[in-house]
Amino acid sequence: MKNFTWLLAIILFGIQYCEAQGPPITADKPIMLGGGSFTAKTLTEIRHTERGDFTYVPVMLHYLPTSNSLVAIHLPYINYDIENGPSGSSLADIKIMGKYQFFRKDGTGKTFRMVAKTLQTLPTGRELDVMDLSTGKYAGYYGIVAGYESLKYGISNELGYNWVPDGSLDALTHKIGFGLPLLKPQYPNKQINLYFEYTNSWLVERDWYQLLYAQGIQYARKNVTFDLAVQVPLVNDIEAGRKLNYSLFLGSRYSF
Amino acid sequence: MKKSIIISALLTLMVVFSAVAQEGKDKFMVQVDGLGCPFCAYGLEKKFKEFKGIKNVKIDIETGDFSFSYPAEKALTLADVEKQVEKAGYTPITAKVERANGEIEESSASEMTKKSEGTVSKNVMVAGNCAMCEARITKAAESVQGVSAVSWDKDTKIMKVSFDAGLTSLEKIEKQVAVAGHDTKNHQAHTDDYGNLPACCKYERLSYK
Repeated sequence: MKNFTWLLAIILFGIQYCEAQGPPITADKPIMLGGGSFTAKTLTEIRHTERGDFTYVPVMLHYLPTSNSLVAIHLPYINYDIENGPSGSSLADIKIMGKYQFFRKDGTGKTFRMVAKTLQTLPTGRELDVMDLSTGKYAGYYGIVAGYESLKYGISNELGYNWVPDGSLDALTHKIGFGLPLLKPQYPNKQINLYFEYTNSWLVERDWYQLLYAQGIQYARKNVTFDLAVQVPLVNDIEAGRKLNYSLFLGSRYSF
Repeated sequence: MKKSIIISALLTLMVVFSAVAQEGKDKFMVQVDGLGCPFCAYGLEKKFKEFKGIKNVKIDIETGDFSFSYPAEKALTLADVEKQVEKAGYTPITAKVERANGEIEESSASEMTKKSEGTVSKNVMVAGNCAMCEARITKAAESVQGVSAVSWDKDTKIMKVSFDAGLTSLEKIEKQVAVAGHDTKNHQAHTDDYGNLPACCKYERLSYK
């Protein structure tokens, strides 16, 4: 019940501020940059938990067949060191993503968009039971991403459900990210953006709940961005010995 | 002294060449909505780079003002520009072109900001013979604002057109095709327009009751 109250509070908070910039770091965005374009990106996550340390390095390729649709493939590699357990490196779970923008409302210097999203996780990784990284299980995620972006600030909001055939990693997830540009908007692009991102995750069957906060900074120049974020738990209501200490994210993306 | 003369001559030539180059360009100005961040402007510019020969691209993201110049001989239409803005994922509000010959064309804001009533698809008979006819018919229909897709089958003589009912109508599209010289089910092409067609495109004219 306590978990549900937290989740509800964050969702309501998100909706209330659903008029708030930028491509987020740990969250997702509903804005797509023109049909026929590609983005190559990576977002390395160094995750420290009570159970062990994990370094996750995905190589992602996003393609927009049209201005309102996206397909992507994520090829990840993981290095793991589990206390009193295995350690090593291997391919992690490959992911295939699809997005379709079904709503768009544009104004001068601002836009609001909504996107339906699916992320299919293939069981190509080792069964490390590390959600989002390497589970060795098929998973289907279905969600909605809504975001408002203006030249002064931006917000992205995502609500979705992750389904796993055996139910062990079924999860209701909500993410909300706020972006604040520190430089005056200019074109050609030169930006430094601050991000404040929250992730709520409730593993239904295990009844685990986490509220994570990520503080990020992003440098963007022309069609390249560099991202840095630190994520820490605000609520860590999961099994003892499994709690998250912190995660460090290092990313870059290139659009062409 | 000799050097000064050469430099002066070179500068004069540069100015002349530059002026001639500008003369051959149409200058487009579009107001675009939805540019919420500098990356959006990048997406817009990238999409317009598909227009080979585009120059002097300027985007003011605060006002949404987007301008560029384009070779006049390519006869780029405002409808093409608006479509490209849509393909980039943004909304064109007003568009204006200053043609190299001094003519000015504008799309009114009220027309372009009409609420979309959804895309409809219609079939209509259009007379024609060959692949050249097909190219002419589809080009004419596509030039109508609001048309998203057109095809014409030379065997069945049926044109299939998809358009936004809030922006245009089948009648307007048929009229435009008739102006290109092709009889449609409801609009006969003017004799002069028909007469301007190449010999291979001289189809058997439709009869109207």
